[in-house]
Amino acid sequence: MRIVFFVARRAVAGLITVWALVTFAFWVFWAIPNEPAQFVYPGQKMNAYHIRMGDHILGIDKPKTTLYFDYLWRMLHWNFSPSWGSYQFLPGLPRNLHPQGVQVQLMQELGVTLSITLGGAFLVLLLAIPLGAIAGSRLRSLSDRTISLVALIGVCTHPMVIALILRGIFGDHLHWVPATGYCPLRGTSFGNGCNGPVDWASHLILPWASFTLLFLALYIRMVRTSVAETLPQDFVRTARAKGASSVRVLTRHVLPNASLRILTMIGMEIGTAIAVCAYIETAFQMEGLGLAGIQAMLGLDLPLILGVVTFISLVVVIGNLIVDALYAFIDPRVRFSTDPGRTKSLAGGVI
Amino acid sequence: MFAVILVVSLAGGATASALLGHNGTDIFPYAANYSLKPVGPWTRVPATHNSYGYANGGLAAPPKGAPTTLLIFGADGPLGRDEFIRVVDGGKASLEIALGGVLVALLIGLPLGCVSGYFGGLADTFVTRVTDTVMAFPLLLFLVFASVNLDASLKPIGAWGSIIPEGVVAEAVLIGVFTSFYPTRLVRARLLTLRQEEFVEAAEMVGASHWRILRYHLLPYLRPMLIVWAAIATATNILLEVGLSFVGAGVQPETPTWGSLLSTTWGTIYQPQVFDKTQFTVWQTVFPTVAILLCVVSLNQLSEGLRHALEPEGGR
Repeated sequence: MRIVFFVARRAVAGLITVWALVTFAFWVFWAIPNEPAQFVYPGQKMNAYHIRMGDHILGIDKPKTTLYFDYLWRMLHWNFSPSWGSYQFLPGLPRNLHPQGVQVQLMQELGVTLSITLGGAFLVLLLAIPLGAIAGSRLRSLSDRTISLVALIGVCTHPMVIALILRGIFGDHLHWVPATGYCPLRGTSFGNGCNGPVDWASHLILPWASFTLLFLALYIRMVRTSVAETLPQDFVRTARAKGASSVRVLTRHVLPNASLRILTMIGMEIGTAIAVCAYIETAFQMEGLGLAGIQAMLGLDLPLILGVVTFISLVVVIGNLIVDALYAFIDPRVRFSTDPGRTKSLAGGVI
Repeated sequence: MFAVILVVSLAGGATASALLGHNGTDIFPYAANYSLKPVGPWTRVPATHNSYGYANGGLAAPPKGAPTTLLIFGADGPLGRDEFIRVVDGGKASLEIALGGVLVALLIGLPLGCVSGYFGGLADTFVTRVTDTVMAFPLLLFLVFASVNLDASLKPIGAWGSIIPEGVVAEAVLIGVFTSFYPTRLVRARLLTLRQEEFVEAAEMVGASHWRILRYHLLPYLRPMLIVWAAIATATNILLEVGLSFVGAGVQPETPTWGSLLSTTWGTIYQPQVFDKTQFTVWQTVFPTVAILLCVVSLNQLSEGLRHALEPEGGR
């Protein structure tokens, strides 16, 4: 029962976070000089009439507070405002009278990004735990140094460079896997011959590899530190003394201690991972949330910015909620503490 | 090692320009042009900004005895500039941004963290809420938004000749402001525990002011932690700057930074370029990457060393 309260409290805090970010984005947006009417009349010379008409079409010829609550209300009903770009009016072409809200586009993009991040995160853990355990149990040995160095190279090479190198070699040159594009997991789209999970996975192998190369170093370091700290402790000596093999000592007694740290780190890196995905998505020409985020920040399309802010912060909040619940599940000691003492890791900046 | 990199990147560009007789913005048609891919490392090219005429659909061979100049790392891309000087100069801009960002973050984070950790109460609640909110959102998106939409007005601020290129100060301030939440949290967390210690109580008892307690009794405890954080943050800021260059939101394109050097080969997020053998050599990726790698590795070593030296209880 108490765990339910714990999660509920976290959920409320998360929603407040989302609200605060959306509010911040809204008011900062209006503090910047801009001309929304240009979305309606792109590349045209505008006079006062155009500006007023454009503002009217976009629905922003109201007081800002009204507009703010308007946006919030639509958000609450999961019916976001359409992006300003979709109201574009070109002479000679019919205007799109009922454009879709940004959530339609963003939901599709979220699927792409989640495919990359979740698959990539799985690969990271699959590789980081054994490699980190090897490095941590043989501190300052040749294997430790080699693993750390290789992992550091992954961190210092920009994800976009890694992704483009992988694409150039395995996609464009060797043709082992498709170089670009994304295949949805469910449903077939006839144009590009996508069909089911196999195509989905084959399109995603290279993005997963790029993602893994970037994040591997941090998690290897984390596991390595944790293993190195745990090994000299008394209970490990006891386990050894009762005759457990070194593999058993590692997997049963030492590595579970690393799981909490890994979990904490995953929780903190969710947002970073989405932003990093922007580069990977660009390199493989996928339409994902990270790229949408950067493009929204570059353009001055308010509904798109608010949509992206809501989506990313929701993903982060929900991800953190899952992490917190798992955390409380794994380690009863921290179940009721409100602050797990988090600080951001080295990956904070890569993005 | 980091000190060496710092010195090289601050003074190396000018020294190399003086020794080699050309600088990072000089364009050499014989180093690279539309029919010739950039020359590799350690090549001598004719020291001329013009060609000696055309022949056989390409540039004519230079006349015998024409003066040549040495490109240590080869040319930087289709323009044919000196990659070596640009890598060294790029270090200057990148490190200035990184260190400036750390400095700004400390200037903001330390007072905020002190107020929230030491005094607690309403200020603490407010600061914690704000840091939590900002940490929930990707830093990169904040930076892209700020640097694109505010940069035009901020860019000329603080430019100082060739020492501090235009846009460096603005980017350092932006990075600093948006990363100041980490030192704030670190300071706050540390002060919350230190606040309960007996020596603080003792100092209060003998009538020390809040300022005196913070400055002379608590700050020494914070210093090691902040120095270690600064070393790590410098490394992450370098990588952040590279990321901003790929978004096209970094400093002026003609100012070399490690990020902008990489993005000449690989394009930006609008126009990613798959590696094109006819236009680029691998060296243009290798040298900036190695420079970043050396810098980050040395900063890592520095922070590990500082941790061992400054935190007697061992840290990790």
